[in-house]
Amino acid sequence: MTETYAVTLERADGSDRTIEVGSGETVLEASERTDRAVPFGCRTGACGTCAGRLLEVDGTRDGEGGDDGQTSDGTEGSATVADAFAYRREPRALKPRHRESGYVLLCIATPRADCRVAVGSRARSGLVDNPWK
Amino acid sequence: MSDADTPTDAEPSHDHEHHGHEGPGYATPQAALEEGEREELAYVMSLYTGTDIDEPDFIAVVDLDPDSETYCEIVDRLEMPEKGDELHHFGWNACSSSCHVEGLERRHLIVPGQRSSRIHVVDTKDRRNPELVEVIEPEEVFEYDLSAPHTVHCVPEGKIIISMLGDADGELPGGFLELNHDFEIEGRWEPPGEIEMNYDYWYQPRQNVMVSTEWAAPKTYYPGFDLEDVEDGKYGRRIHFWDWENGTVEQTIDLGEEGQIPLEVRFLHTPESTHGFVGTALSSNIFHFWYDADAGEYRAEKAIDFEAREHEDWDMPVPGLTTDILISMDDRYLFGSNWLHGELWMYDISDPSNPRRADSLSVGGTFGEVQEVQGRELSAGPQMVQLSLDGERLYWTTSLFSTWDDQFYPEEAEKGSVMLKADVDPRNGTLELDEDFLVDWGECPNGPARAHEIRWPDGDCTSDVWQ
Repeated sequence: MTETYAVTLERADGSDRTIEVGSGETVLEASERTDRAVPFGCRTGACGTCAGRLLEVDGTRDGEGGDDGQTSDGTEGSATVADAFAYRREPRALKPRHRESGYVLLCIATPRADCRVAVGSRARSGLVDNPWK
Repeated sequence: MSDADTPTDAEPSHDHEHHGHEGPGYATPQAALEEGEREELAYVMSLYTGTDIDEPDFIAVVDLDPDSETYCEIVDRLEMPEKGDELHHFGWNACSSSCHVEGLERRHLIVPGQRSSRIHVVDTKDRRNPELVEVIEPEEVFEYDLSAPHTVHCVPEGKIIISMLGDADGELPGGFLELNHDFEIEGRWEPPGEIEMNYDYWYQPRQNVMVSTEWAAPKTYYPGFDLEDVEDGKYGRRIHFWDWENGTVEQTIDLGEEGQIPLEVRFLHTPESTHGFVGTALSSNIFHFWYDADAGEYRAEKAIDFEAREHEDWDMPVPGLTTDILISMDDRYLFGSNWLHGELWMYDISDPSNPRRADSLSVGGTFGEVQEVQGRELSAGPQMVQLSLDGERLYWTTSLFSTWDDQFYPEEAEKGSVMLKADVDPRNGTLELDEDFLVDWGECPNGPARAHEIRWPDGDCTSDVWQ
């Protein structure tokens, strides 16, 4: 029998909802069964439109993730994402600094634990800044 | 204008037989200028991808007839069957390059999803109510190890070639996908391995040449613009000249530091010409290229340099970001946009090696003198431009690419894009903002949408090529 995990999707306005995601499906696929899918684009891990940021795994806050989304210790942050998700294919849209900061591509990520993820365009837009401002 | 007097059979508004051709389009660029009627409708790529609005992208049909009760309104929205496409650029099944092909008509729009790699075919037989007729799913495209479709040009005999910016994983190399006249994938147009990066292209069949430009790998530009990627050489700065018949690269020119991210590329419309221009977006320069018959090769030289400007709120000088260019049908003017500065410009290119600034408009963006039209605040600078066939009306939209918009103009997502217009006096070389014209994507029924490329039903200055 497929295991399911409770994945809580938190929006920038603080509202959240919890969806059941099977271990063999992606967070995007599970969200498409609800009335509101998480944003997405390529569905192959290349474009980053679906990027969310991991906040909590199994009820434990990701201690490395500060308000700015940066980790003080990249290795631990990376391990946290790996605790929560497996990838169907390589998350090419994410650079090492993104992976270390807890960013996760929900179009190719299948859950391995109950977790809480910041989702939506505001969460995704943290991937890049205006480089000149 | 009522539907009753809308041309519904996609018959161009001029009589072909009197001009010695029986296919779509116009016999010459001058014929397009003389015979093309005023644009009454625009098709505009419109999108929700990258926002929190969980709706599909759509093609907006905009009423441009000043005598119509719905002037400046989106009169139809053709929604795509799936979400997440990022509609971006699009093109016709046939244009003036097939003007001698009897029975072919300019009727179907090829509309790719830049992020999804899904390719839509839209029938515009009923111009005001276009219909989706075919969908090529991403998996079919990935089979050719290509993704991220961008520029669509029809080529003689009803074939369609689409520039593809990445492989099936969103990495390099990109290439070109060919569709047949039944809108089925014929295969790769070129032998794989001719290029790494790809973006826009234009062809000049009489000179047996095609020119293509370079953005980056999809996985690099999709998530947003990262200056580190420029430093790491992950963005392009080369243009490629192809043997059009053979589909092989004959010459590559590295434009250097001043030619970073060469995007939109245009040959002059006159089929005899080997002159053209490319906008290098990041360096914010325009390069002129031409065939040097003595040397037996193409040359490229910087012809226009838009200087970065200081702004008190910015740490670094703000580059213009020259993201779109086009050439008027009479080959007399080059128009373009500096998206970050908020500037539209018009250069006299009657001497292509020495462009002369004719006029400009300062509107929207970081420095625009005009920051609202009809009380509607402009949240971004001018981006995609389109010109009437007669060269007297210049229109533009304000969105570049969803993730890049969010970096530089985050309000564009919240407010939606606008389409604006300037009146052009080609005799005197002037531009004047038409304050009576405003199309607002902020008022779309599903919420604010972005707007990108613009086309007219009867062809325009960025769609038609002559053999």
